[in-house]
Amino acid sequence: MMRALLFSRRLSDVVYGWRESIVAQGATGQRLVLLLMAVVLVLVFLLGLTIGPVSVAVNDVWSSLQRAITFAPIGSANDWVVRELRLPRALLAMIVGAGLAVAGVITQGVFRNPLADPGLIGVSSGAALAAVAVIVLNETLLSGWVSLTGPLALPLAAFMGGLGVTLVIYRLGTRGGQTQVGMLLLAGVAINVLAGAATGVLTYAADDQQLRDMTFWSMGSLASGRWQDVAALTGLIGVPLLLSLRYRRVLNALLMGEQVAIHLGFDVQRSKRWLLAFAALMVGAGVAVAGIIGFVGLVVPHLLRMVMGSDHRGLIPAAAMGGALLLLLADSLARTWMAPADLPVGLVMALLGGPVFLLLLMQQNGGQSR
Amino acid sequence: MIRADAVSVVKGRSTLLDSASMVLCTGERLAVLGANGAGKSTLLSCLCGENTDYDGQVWLGADSLKELLPEQRAQRIAVMPQQVELVFPFRVWQVVAMGRSPWGDEQQTLEWQQEVMKATEVHHLQHRLYPQLSGGEKQRVQLARVLLQLWHYQYQSNGQQAYILLDECTSALDPAHQHEVMDLVSSMVGPAIGALAVMHDVALAASWADRVMLLRDGRVMAAGEASLLCDAEVLSACYDMSSALSRQYARVNQQWLESR
Repeated sequence: MMRALLFSRRLSDVVYGWRESIVAQGATGQRLVLLLMAVVLVLVFLLGLTIGPVSVAVNDVWSSLQRAITFAPIGSANDWVVRELRLPRALLAMIVGAGLAVAGVITQGVFRNPLADPGLIGVSSGAALAAVAVIVLNETLLSGWVSLTGPLALPLAAFMGGLGVTLVIYRLGTRGGQTQVGMLLLAGVAINVLAGAATGVLTYAADDQQLRDMTFWSMGSLASGRWQDVAALTGLIGVPLLLSLRYRRVLNALLMGEQVAIHLGFDVQRSKRWLLAFAALMVGAGVAVAGIIGFVGLVVPHLLRMVMGSDHRGLIPAAAMGGALLLLLADSLARTWMAPADLPVGLVMALLGGPVFLLLLMQQNGGQSR
Repeated sequence: MIRADAVSVVKGRSTLLDSASMVLCTGERLAVLGANGAGKSTLLSCLCGENTDYDGQVWLGADSLKELLPEQRAQRIAVMPQQVELVFPFRVWQVVAMGRSPWGDEQQTLEWQQEVMKATEVHHLQHRLYPQLSGGEKQRVQLARVLLQLWHYQYQSNGQQAYILLDECTSALDPAHQHEVMDLVSSMVGPAIGALAVMHDVALAASWADRVMLLRDGRVMAAGEASLLCDAEVLSACYDMSSALSRQYARVNQQWLESR
C-alpha cells in the first residue's frame, strides 16, 4: 500500500510538471489537451473495431464505416460484425461514458466535493432499481406506467429513480448550504444497500428471462447494445450534456460556495435544480441501457482536474471525451480479455476504478494532515 | 443609495434582526459594529440579496432589491463574505477573473485583472493554486475578485450607483495589510460607489469609516458620525464591557480619528 502511495505521489509529480506547462499556456493549453484526447479517441475507436473474437483488418473496418455512413447493404460476415455488433457497441460505450463522466463533474461541482460520484452516492443504484422494477413489474404493478411511456419506459423510470435518490441525498448531505461529505458518502452506502435489497426482493418475483436481464443490470454491460439504443441515448445523454455547457460558469462559482455564486449574480437554486436533473438524466439513461457502471464519473474528472485545473469551461468538454475514451477502453478490454467470454464492463471499471478511489482517499487524508 | 426599511429576520424562535433600518449613500464609508451575534452578518445578507426571507424592505436606488434580476444586482453590489472555502484546484488568476461573471467580460478585462491583483498585492501569486495559499493570501485574492466586480465602475456607471459590502474582510490580515486593504476600498469609494464594512476591530473602524452603525441584539443601538466611537458609554453599552476598558478604547479611537 505504501508503495502504491509513493507511486501515486511520483505519478502526480509527473502530472504536476505537465500541468504547469499546460496552465502556463492558459486556454491554448486546454485546447491542446482536448485535441490530443480527440486524436487518441479516434485511434482507440478504430482499433477497437478491429479486435475481438474475429479480428478484422483495418482496411475492412474503414470500408465498413464508409458503407455504414452511406447505409449500403451489408456485404460480408466481417462487415456485419463491424456494423451490427462492434460499431453500435463502441458508440454506446462512448455516449454512456461521456454522460457518466459529465454527470460526475456536475455532481462534484454542485456538492463541492471531488468524491461525489453518481455511483458512490447511490444515484446509479436508484436508477437501476427503478429500471429493474419496470422489467419485473411491467405486467402487474407498473403496467400503467409502461403503457403510458411506451419504449421510453425504462430510461424514464431510471431517470426518475436517479433523480429521486439525488434529491434524498441532497436533503441528507447538505445543511445550511454546506455539503457534509461524510454524510453524503454514508447516505450513498445506505441507499446502495437499500436498492440492492429491493432489487434482491424483486428477483424472487421475476421469471427466468427477467432474471437474466436483471443480472446484467447489476454488473453493467454494453454487450446488448444495438442501433436503436444508440439512437435513444444520443438524445437522452447528448441533450443534457450540451445543455450543461450553459452552466459551466455557474459551476465555477458554485465551487466557492452558494453564497459567492449568488453574489456573482447567478440564479443558484434554479441552476442547481437543472444541473442535478441533467446529471440524473445522463446517469439514468446510461443505466437503463448498460446497467450500473461505476467510477467513470470519479476517475475521469479527477485525472482531468490534475492535468488542466477545475475551470468547467474546459473541464466539461474534456470530461465528455475522457469518459468516452475510458469506457471505450474498458469495454474493449471486457470484450477481449477472456474472449470469447464477454466480461461485464462494470466489473472491469470497478477493478480499474476501485484502486483509484482508494488512492484519492489517501491523498485527501495526506492533504489534511500536511 | 441602499436603504433598509424596518428589516426583520426571524429564524425559528430567535429574532436575528429586529426591524433594523439604515441608509448607505455613494461616496460614503459605513462601518457596522456590534458584539458577536448582534446581527451584523444577517443584515449584510439581506442587503446583498443572499437572504430573501425577511420582513420589511430593502431598496437599491428606486428598485426593490428582491425584484432585481440576479445579474443586475451583481452588477451593482459586490460582496466579500466572511469565509470562502475552495478545495478544487483553481489558479489565483482564475479566481480573480470570476469577479467579472456578472458582466461576462472576463476576456476583455485582462488588464483590469492585473491592476486589481497589483492593488491587493496578490499579483506575484497569480499562477499559484488557490487552495495552497495562506489564510491572509486567500483573503486578499477574494478581495481582488470582489473589487474587480466594480473595478473602474465610476467611468461606466451611466448614472447608476454601486456598493461594496465587506463582511470582516480583514480578519486574516496583518495590521499593515488591514490598513492597506481599507485604504484601497476607500480609493474606490466616490460619486458612484459607496462601501459598507462589517468590522470587529473598533480601532480599524475609527481609522476608516465616515459613519458607524452599532448593532445590539438585532437592533440598531446607535448610528452616526465616526466620532460616536469616542463615546465610552456607547462602547460599553454595545459590547457589554467594563467602563475602564471602554474608556481605554474610546481614547484610542479618538487618537485614530485625530490622525486621519
